[in-house]
Amino acid sequence: MNDNDHDLTEQERAELASLPRERDTGQLLEERTVQALRHQQLLGTRFRPRWYRRTLLVAAGVAAAVAFFVSGLAVGQWLGTRTVTDSMAAANHQTAMQAAAAVQRAGSAYVLALTALAQVADTTDDRAVDQGREVALASLYAAVRELVLLAPDDPMAVTLRQELERLQQGGTADVTQVTNLVWF
Amino acid sequence: MQPFSRPTTPRDVNATDALAELGDRALAERVQLKGDEQAFRMLYRRHTPKLYQFALRVLGGNELDAEDVVQETWLRAVEGFREFRWEAALGTWLTGIALNLCRGLFRRHDRRWIAIREDLELVTAPRQEHEIIDLEAALTRLPPGYRTVVVLHDVEGFTHEQIAERLEISANTSKSQLSRGRRMLRSLLGPHESEQVRV
Repeated sequence: MNDNDHDLTEQERAELASLPRERDTGQLLEERTVQALRHQQLLGTRFRPRWYRRTLLVAAGVAAAVAFFVSGLAVGQWLGTRTVTDSMAAANHQTAMQAAAAVQRAGSAYVLALTALAQVADTTDDRAVDQGREVALASLYAAVRELVLLAPDDPMAVTLRQELERLQQGGTADVTQVTNLVWF
Repeated sequence: MQPFSRPTTPRDVNATDALAELGDRALAERVQLKGDEQAFRMLYRRHTPKLYQFALRVLGGNELDAEDVVQETWLRAVEGFREFRWEAALGTWLTGIALNLCRGLFRRHDRRWIAIREDLELVTAPRQEHEIIDLEAALTRLPPGYRTVVVLHDVEGFTHEQIAERLEISANTSKSQLSRGRRMLRSLLGPHESEQVRV
């Protein structure tokens, strides 16, 4: 369609030109609009410039991010520490059990060895038997010293050590008594 | 502040007079930077009567919708002062915002804004025999798409290129719509020939 087919006549132009270009809205709409702007903090006493609000938002975001990071770090550290502590405790527990078992095995072997030595004492070389007995006493003495270090308040351990020290220093100890103590 | 309050003290009157001498840009900067309510009211009173009339005409005389459009236009304008480059007049910018809001209302109310489409056959509200209506009333009876182009071109003085840009249509579509809108307008104002006006 050709636009010129519907060009306006002079009368039509005049009529269009005579249409009002403005209309009063009344005070209500103005107040309503001002209230809406105040409500959005774009006007009035609660006004904050956009840059202020934006900065506030950014600051809040940064603070939240930092808090999130720090709390994450703390939780991570706590979890890590807890794991390490548990692992060490478990390892220590395992080591103590292993050490106790080793003591038990060594003790049994020690007693068995002395039993065997006692059984061959009359039939074999006396010198070898004496040497075995001295080694047994030295081992016993060393073991008692460690036992006292392990349990300083244990009266049995302390008494054993005192007796053995007295024997080493004075040589007046009753061998039978020591033997009894050993076998005890 | 009391509702509907107007400046009454000499100091207020002087302040208002001083604001009245400021240009749109200076007032807008006061609103933007300080939230100056008096500066806003000055801008509002300067531009709203034209803005309201424009919205009312585009919306076919619906006063409630026109008031909502005016309020929302100012809200968006105040929020957008920082981005406004002042390459165009403030009034033109406000009209553009209001026009977009009107289009949104058309779409929401499904008022065949899409009348812009060439293939649609539109029927206006039937005119009663011997009914005499004036130009303003005839405009309200146009389909929204035609009415918008007629108002923008014949009343507001926009070019087809400007209309095309604002309505996101081609300039040729704008011309076609204007031609059809004018023809429909003439049929509404002229001798009563038919109950229905086909486009």
